[in-house]
Amino acid sequence: MSDDLAIEVRNLVRVFESRKGFFFGEKNRTEALKGVELLVGRGTIFGLLGPNGAGKTTLTKILSTLLLPTTGTVRVLGHDVVEEASWLRPRIGLVLGGERGLYNRINARENLRYFADLYGIPPVERDRRITEVLERVDLTWAGDRRVEEYSRGMKQKLHIARGILHRPEILFLDEPTIGLDPKSARETRKLVRSLVVDGVTIFLTTHYMFEAEELCPQVAVLSKGRIVANDTIGGLRQRVGGDRTIEVEAYGFEDRELSLLRGLPGVSHVTGEEFGPRMRLTLRVRTWETTPEQVGLLLPGHPELSVRERRTSLEDVYLDLVEEEAN
Amino acid sequence: MALATTHASRSRATGASLRLSILLFVADPQWLVPSTIAPIVFGLVSFELFRNAGPYFLTYAILGAGMMSMWGQTLYGSGWATGADRQLGTLEPTIQAPTPYLYVVLGRIIWNVVAGLFGGGVVYVVVVLAAGGPPSLPNPLLFVVLFVFVMVTLAAVGVVFAAAFVYSRYAGFIQNIGEFAFYVGTGCMFPVVLLPFWTNPIALLFPPTWALDALRYASIPGYTGFGWGFGWDLLGAVATTAVYASIAGGVFTRVERHVLEVGDLSDY
Repeated sequence: MSDDLAIEVRNLVRVFESRKGFFFGEKNRTEALKGVELLVGRGTIFGLLGPNGAGKTTLTKILSTLLLPTTGTVRVLGHDVVEEASWLRPRIGLVLGGERGLYNRINARENLRYFADLYGIPPVERDRRITEVLERVDLTWAGDRRVEEYSRGMKQKLHIARGILHRPEILFLDEPTIGLDPKSARETRKLVRSLVVDGVTIFLTTHYMFEAEELCPQVAVLSKGRIVANDTIGGLRQRVGGDRTIEVEAYGFEDRELSLLRGLPGVSHVTGEEFGPRMRLTLRVRTWETTPEQVGLLLPGHPELSVRERRTSLEDVYLDLVEEEAN
Repeated sequence: MALATTHASRSRATGASLRLSILLFVADPQWLVPSTIAPIVFGLVSFELFRNAGPYFLTYAILGAGMMSMWGQTLYGSGWATGADRQLGTLEPTIQAPTPYLYVVLGRIIWNVVAGLFGGGVVYVVVVLAAGGPPSLPNPLLFVVLFVFVMVTLAAVGVVFAAAFVYSRYAGFIQNIGEFAFYVGTGCMFPVVLLPFWTNPIALLFPPTWALDALRYASIPGYTGFGWGFGWDLLGAVATTAVYASIAGGVFTRVERHVLEVGDLSDY
């Protein structure tokens, strides 16, 4: 493994087995990860995108030594997550977030102090570090309040504070802004960016496309346990057909019209969605030959036709990739 | 950022866990019931039950009620704390920390021993007040030492039982079925020799059985128990406690491995 790599995953498979019922129920076998391959460089923010149930949390837990792989090799900071977990754990930060994972009846400082001791932070340094991380996540004012009095956003900040308390070399953030109000989410993203400046490698899972677009130079898309894309944002856009998207809206389209649109030069694919009585077609366009005007001319007889062009967003790319995998 | 910290000191982790247990205890008024109010009730009930049980009835009453209020807390308190960790979602970050979970459990065990002894103290005071005077003990110091030792033997079993709560979210269910069998089977309420003979070999697998028999030898003149005497009881208690303590590390290593394979640390 190269020294520049923070994460190296080779042919990772993770199978969960469960049983319906308590004793002799039917056995269920779920393959959550199906041969995942992934390389992540050091000192960057890597984004892992995927819909619910894609395997993001499973992969994060394996990378952070909380779950064993069924088969495959997983190395973090050059060390095997199974054989060298005890070496890795002090160097890894994990933020699973959510309402759970904190001792609600005691205050934030005491929560942090407990974990500081479990991570072996020297007593002389401990209180200073707690003050430092509380300041960093803007919770100094609430440090002595019981966690049960915290809002969702404050709890999320406290999760992050705990994750960085021991100054990890790599931080795993599992959907860090889910459920946060826009202001808290923006502050969290700002915090994540500041951590990278300090040299921490960030592995971030999210299903907010704009978040990945804003934070991550490189992203991978995980769908149904497989990495279906791993590229830069620009690279991903190119991968699914260029930078242009033309959206056409009307009260329904005929099959003949869809075929005409699909046959336009440079159109890589056309998807449709209904909303109320209207239907929206999204054309991914690879070249400049096809323009919104041309599209409008191909669809006469739609008095309230709306055609507009916009830049392909990462969300478009993501949805295309997930849809491709589903099909 | 600077390099990650070195491996946690295990004793500091145990200290942190002990501190957390105290903080959680103080923060939650419901614990006043098992730690204070229940021992008062047990003490009064036990006093009435044993008051016609001969010249050493006070000792019987104190041992019966004392064990009743202490054994559960000491034996299962740490297990329940792990179950609570599952429920709170704190088990995952705790296991993910560099310190082996066993050392976290040890901190909880220490607190539960202290809380159990406090319950025992409450029982003693209640029974003495009800009787109007202390029991006549042949060797009060030995009684106190053995009382604490019984707690240690319960704690030794408790460490291994706590592993069950890490192993499975169903541990509480299984424990609820077994706890009173354990309570009666190890002689917490009355001597094991009063039970059917076939239960005795099973009871002897548990250190508290030996320790409680030794305690009765030391505090009740004429007590015969298993019949092999105080010395063998004490030796058996020390030996079985040592076995439990020595297998605890291995049990936790295996259990941690199992839960990382199954991946159900956050389930409850």
